[in-house]
Amino acid sequence: MVKEIEVEPVTRLEGHGGLRLTLGDDGKVQDVQFNVTSTRFFEKFCEGRYCEHVPRITPRICGICPIPHHLTPTKAVEDAWNVKIPTPALKLRQLLMNAKQYSSHILHFYALAAPDFLLGPMADPALRNVVHVINKMPEVGAMAMKMMDFGQKLCAAIGGKSVHPISAIVGGMKKSLDEDIRDKFLKEIDEQIEFTKKTVEIGLKVVEDYWDVVANVGVVPTYYLGMTKNGIHDIYNGDIRIVTPEGKKIDYNVHNYLDALGEHIPEHSYATHMYYKPAGYPEGIYRANCLAMINAADKMATPLADDALKAFRDKVGQISHHTFAYHWARLIETVEAIELIKKYLEDPDICNPDCKTLDIEPREGQGIGVTEAPRGLLLYHIWSDAQGICKKLNLLVATNHNIAGIEKSLMHVAKQIFEDKALEGLKLPDPWIK
Amino acid sequence: MIKNKEDNNNIEDSRVKVAFNQCSDCWGCHQSLLNAHLGLLPLLPALEIVYWPCVVDFKYKSLENREDGEILVGFIEGSLRTKQDVDAAKLMRRKCQLIIAFGSCSCYGNVHGLANESTLEQLTGRKFLEVESIADGSSRVPDKHVPEFEKNIIPLDNIIKVDAYMSGCPPKPEHIISSVLFLLGQKPFPVKESAFCNECPLNQEGCLLDKGQLCFGSITSSGCSIKCPTNGNACVGCMGPAKIVASKIDKLNSMTDNLSSMSSGDKKNLYEFLTLYLNLPLMAGFDLSGDILKQIKKKGIVSTSLPNLPSQAESITSKLLYYLRDNRDFHKISNVCDTCSRITHSKSTMTRVKRDYEGLPNLEDCFIEQGYICMGPVTNAGCGGMCINVNAPCTGCYGQTKWGVNQAERFADTILKQFNVSISKEELLSQVKDHIGTFEKFTLASNKEYKGGN
Repeated sequence: MVKEIEVEPVTRLEGHGGLRLTLGDDGKVQDVQFNVTSTRFFEKFCEGRYCEHVPRITPRICGICPIPHHLTPTKAVEDAWNVKIPTPALKLRQLLMNAKQYSSHILHFYALAAPDFLLGPMADPALRNVVHVINKMPEVGAMAMKMMDFGQKLCAAIGGKSVHPISAIVGGMKKSLDEDIRDKFLKEIDEQIEFTKKTVEIGLKVVEDYWDVVANVGVVPTYYLGMTKNGIHDIYNGDIRIVTPEGKKIDYNVHNYLDALGEHIPEHSYATHMYYKPAGYPEGIYRANCLAMINAADKMATPLADDALKAFRDKVGQISHHTFAYHWARLIETVEAIELIKKYLEDPDICNPDCKTLDIEPREGQGIGVTEAPRGLLLYHIWSDAQGICKKLNLLVATNHNIAGIEKSLMHVAKQIFEDKALEGLKLPDPWIK
Repeated sequence: MIKNKEDNNNIEDSRVKVAFNQCSDCWGCHQSLLNAHLGLLPLLPALEIVYWPCVVDFKYKSLENREDGEILVGFIEGSLRTKQDVDAAKLMRRKCQLIIAFGSCSCYGNVHGLANESTLEQLTGRKFLEVESIADGSSRVPDKHVPEFEKNIIPLDNIIKVDAYMSGCPPKPEHIISSVLFLLGQKPFPVKESAFCNECPLNQEGCLLDKGQLCFGSITSSGCSIKCPTNGNACVGCMGPAKIVASKIDKLNSMTDNLSSMSSGDKKNLYEFLTLYLNLPLMAGFDLSGDILKQIKKKGIVSTSLPNLPSQAESITSKLLYYLRDNRDFHKISNVCDTCSRITHSKSTMTRVKRDYEGLPNLEDCFIEQGYICMGPVTNAGCGGMCINVNAPCTGCYGQTKWGVNQAERFADTILKQFNVSISKEELLSQVKDHIGTFEKFTLASNKEYKGGN
């Protein structure tokens, strides 16, 4: 008898989706679907809006990463209108991006992912959540909250609001950071760096404990999509970089994104499937997000993060297809984020009120903005008319880049579990929380 | 307060059951709740979270399997875009005694309501058929194992009865916590013996009460780290009641005898005080206050929900509640301008409408008088002016203060009356090219007058 396993909804996920797994009589996995069950049509209803208002609407695409969804359309409009921004504005935006990267990665590690590892995959679903982790490991819980709080407060200080920021405007930023507020964050930065180091220690211990899982479950060769500036890991500025499953790196200027990135509309998901166009669908399915960024980077932008990258590559090689190594890759990015936060906080430019180009004229044309959001590459392609009204918008959204890749790794893991009974021989550690 | 139904399986468990459901949303309200961070700790032990997909692992089936009315409070976040959203809202209504529209999506439809300008065919056509990046001829509208779309974004209260609205995009963390605690009849902070006045840097000299500012330090618990009066801002009671009031209370007491002549700054503080000290969730755009007022009216008595409040503090807060009772529209007539520190009737005057990218507004004068569109005068108070603090005009995410009218015209009428504006209504309205996106992007789906779309 054909058996269907349904998971509805997938929990600890930002967004809406279910899983559907079909097993044949012979026990073989026939089909795996990741059904993303809603979409809200931002592409359409931003038409007719003032271009400069689009960045005040689109953060609502994602409450976890509203900052990239604020800055990326701003960049796209600046590209369309050929507007340059002052250096202080650029630095403020980079600080804002890294503050978000930091809090989001910590949220992911502790609130979304850690319950699986700290309680173990066989734990009672009623307890497998961050609330229970906080109850059982109050010190770690308090540290995690202080880290998220630091990142979110810094986002709010620069962006006005941490969720759905408003301070970026075509031409720069509406306001620079007040010195006394900057000083408050500077005072805490060294403690945050220590917290990050502790988090990396915990992360590496988890990786070690679960090495059998990391090395053997969900090792799925795909393409990868990242962003680098001259080969260096960069989340605000740079070129699109594709990494082939063999590890070859190919760069595309963001204006040529349509040469690299193709969209396939599946029957069963409102989030579409992305793939590397020259390789075709489904062969060219890629993954994005931190592991992809780490695979794409020649080096990290900061010293501690670069050391962490070297340690990672010593263990897993130049290119990693290990799905569970995403967590490790995320921590490398977290280290870079806190180092960059320190660098920008120490830069007097972020308090310089000269943070906006004053003379701006809308013009007819297209513009493209790209950043790396915490869940993957984010691309806005906007068409402006001569009055600066948005005529058309194309969005390639961070999580969307991963949907096909997630489904591909799910199929791989489903076969491992249901056909090869891979779980039975797997070495699992004693859970930290029992 | 409403008590949780007796749970036969676990009589000793006094926790209150709550459920969070997400319709078509962005997760932002949940991020905002999580942004309370350490502020969550006193709250968590009081709650039994029975459904919250973004944080805990209970599945939809487990919600279906619960008894009707078993859950005390249900928060619904997000807009109703799909049939699955509508079904989930109905299920939540059945399972929960109280339903809270959590955030501007479920209150008003939010920006997603702008989609009601287009037909469903136009919406799906752009996304699934026409988009430039579709590269393998796979254009189609997905229809396997995905819920159908509704034709429009539907306001939640068109589908189910909503008990309370908590607007904001997102609502502020302290307001979410305050609202939850209000529903639970609790106060988050350990109440200390001594009052804030005793540790106030202005205790000896420069007391704000002496300057005529409504400052609540004499009845508020000590132990705060911010000490608002240092920066010239009155204490608004966020630490909760002190067990022993300070001597300055006499001054505060006499000031609260005549509340009708409050300055706008005091009005703002009163607002915050009612929220933070008494747990009346007004600041969150929380319309449950309407029901509270009805109860007050009916019973003829006014009291706080706080046990063991010192009698002098109870007397002051009762006066505030009476004021609230007699000014039933108090929270409705308050708008973002009431919480804005910019100067009106400034040296600037609007002579034409400026677009947001033009120049850079100065940090002192009212945006409108500098020529920019700011929705502050027609938007519900509650945010504390977060956008304005970073030099960005209000765009109205807490919802409009009046419904059933043409919002563009109402905005124009209001600002012509209240601010330095030297252009006519017609000029103003013709200079704004995108009326819907400018004047009602958060509320279009809920505006009863709206006849557009399909």
